Amino acid sequence: MLEILRLLKAILPRRGGAAPIVPERSVAGRTLLLMITIMSFLSAVTLGGVVLVQKSAIAWSADVGREVTIQIRPVEGEVMESNLRTAVALAEATPGVASARPLTVEESQKLIEPWLGAGLDLSAIEIPRLVVVQLGDPVDADIAKLTRDLTAVKGASLDTHAAWRQQLNTMAGAIVLSGLMVLGLIGVATVLAIIFATRGAMASNREIVDVLHYIGASNKFIAGEFQGRFLSIGLQGGLLGALAATLFFFIVGTGAGNMLSSEASAQVGVLFGRFALGIDGIIGIAAVIPVIAALTAITSRLTVRRFLAQTS
Amino acid sequence: MIEFSDVGLRYGNGPEILRDLSFSIEPGSFHFLTGPSGAGKTSLLRLLLLSLKPSRGRVTMFGEDVTHLDQDRLLQMRRHIGIVFQEFRLLDHLTTFENVALPLRVLGQPEAEYRPNVTELLEWVGLGERMNALPSLLSGGEKQRAAIARAVIARPKVLLADEPTGNVDPDLSSRLVHLFAELNRTLGMTIILATHELPLLDQFSYPRMLLSKGELVIHA
Repeated sequence: MLEILRLLKAILPRRGGAAPIVPERSVAGRTLLLMITIMSFLSAVTLGGVVLVQKSAIAWSADVGREVTIQIRPVEGEVMESNLRTAVALAEATPGVASARPLTVEESQKLIEPWLGAGLDLSAIEIPRLVVVQLGDPVDADIAKLTRDLTAVKGASLDTHAAWRQQLNTMAGAIVLSGLMVLGLIGVATVLAIIFATRGAMASNREIVDVLHYIGASNKFIAGEFQGRFLSIGLQGGLLGALAATLFFFIVGTGAGNMLSSEASAQVGVLFGRFALGIDGIIGIAAVIPVIAALTAITSRLTVRRFLAQTS
Repeated sequence: MIEFSDVGLRYGNGPEILRDLSFSIEPGSFHFLTGPSGAGKTSLLRLLLLSLKPSRGRVTMFGEDVTHLDQDRLLQMRRHIGIVFQEFRLLDHLTTFENVALPLRVLGQPEAEYRPNVTELLEWVGLGERMNALPSLLSGGEKQRAAIARAVIARPKVLLADEPTGNVDPDLSSRLVHLFAELNRTLGMTIILATHELPLLDQFSYPRMLLSKGELVIHA
C-alpha cells in the first residue's frame, strides 16, 4: 500500500504539468491494459463466485443445523398417530428444542411425489411419517437425550443431517479452495504477462531509455517513469475488470430471475442465494483493483530495474 | 579538465580500436575531433561521455579518475557533460520545449523554475516560435538546434557533439558550428565537436584532434 501511495505521489504532480516521458499511448500499453482488464475480470468473477458459494454454504449449514427430523416407520401393531404424538411430546420436552411438528399425510405424500409421481392414491399403504423439530439453539440442544428418549417409540429414528452437513461443508470447502487456487494461477499468469509486456515496452522505448541515460538520468529515475505508467495501466485495468465483473453478476442475477421458470429460479435461489454478492462480495471485488494495480506496479518496477541493470 | 594517459580501447576480445591516447583538454577550450569514417571518433566520444570504460590506461575528468567509478558516481559525473548527436535523438512525443527541458526534469527541478530558462534558451537558438511543435514538424536545422539546446540547458562543463552537421546542408553546418563557438565564448563551455567535413574545419581556427587508425594527433 505504501508502495502505491509513493508511486501515486511520484506521478500525480506531473499530470497537470509536463507530458509524461514514457508515451501514454502505445501498442504495448493498450495490449497490457486489455490483458489486465481480462485478468481483473476473471479474478473478480472467481472471487465473487467463491464468496457466493461460501455464503450459501454457511447459510445452508446454519438452516439445516437448526432442524432435526424424527422419522417413524410403520410397525405392525403400532398406531402411527399415537407414536407421532409421543415423538412430538418427547421432542418438546427436550432442552434446546423450540418446536416440533408432525408432517401431515398430504405433506408426506408430497415429499415422495418426485419419486412416485403425482396423483397416486397412497391411502392404501402406510408410509413413514416425519416430525420436524426446530432447535432454539443448535449448540445447547440435548440431541443425545432425544435420541435416548425416542428408543421408547417403536420404529422411530432421529436424523440430525450431520452426514449431509459434513458433505456440504466438504464440497463448499473444496469449491472455495479451488477458487483460491484459480485466483493464484490468475495472479501468476498476470505477473508473467506483465513481465513480458514490460520487457516489450522497454524494448520499444529503448531510444527513450538511451537518451535518458545520456542526459544523466539514474536507473531509479527511469524506472520511476516506467512504473508510474504501469501503475496507471494497472489501476485502469483493475477498475475496468472489477466494473465488468460487477455488471456480470448483476446481469446473471437478473437474467436467472427472468429466464428461468419460477420453480427453477427458486431452486437456483436456494443454491446461490439469488446471486446477490452482498457487501463482502462487493468489497472483495473492489479489493481486486488495488491488488492488481500493486501487482502491476511492483512487477514492472522489478522488471524495469533488472532490464536497466542488464543494459546500462 | 580532461586528461587521457595511455588509453586503449577494445570491444570484447577484438583488436584495439583506440591505442595509446594521451592528451589533455583545458577548461573553456574548443577542439575539433576529426578523421576518416571508422577511425574511432564515436568510440572516443563515448569514452568522454563515460558510457564506455577504457580497456587500459587512465582517464581523469574534473580532477577525478573515472576509470573505476561506480554507476551512481558515473551518472553524477555525466550530468556535467552534454551530448549532441548527428541523428538529433529528440523524443518524438515531446514538444521542443519538453525535449529541451528534459535534463532539468531529470535533475528534479519543477517546471515553474525551469520554464523561464528553457524559453530564454529556445529564443536564443532561434526556436522561440517553435517551442510547442513536435520534432516531426521541425526541419533538420531546427531539430539540431533543439538538440543543442537540450545538451546545454543544464549548463554542462563539457559539450560533446558527434557529427552534429551530418544531416544538414553546408550553409546550415557553418551556422551550427558558429552556434557552438558562441556557446564556447559566452558560457565558457569546453567543446569537442566531431566531424569529418574538412571544408567546415577550414572556416575555423580551433585546434584539431586528428584520429587515424586508432591513434591521435593534435594539431594546434
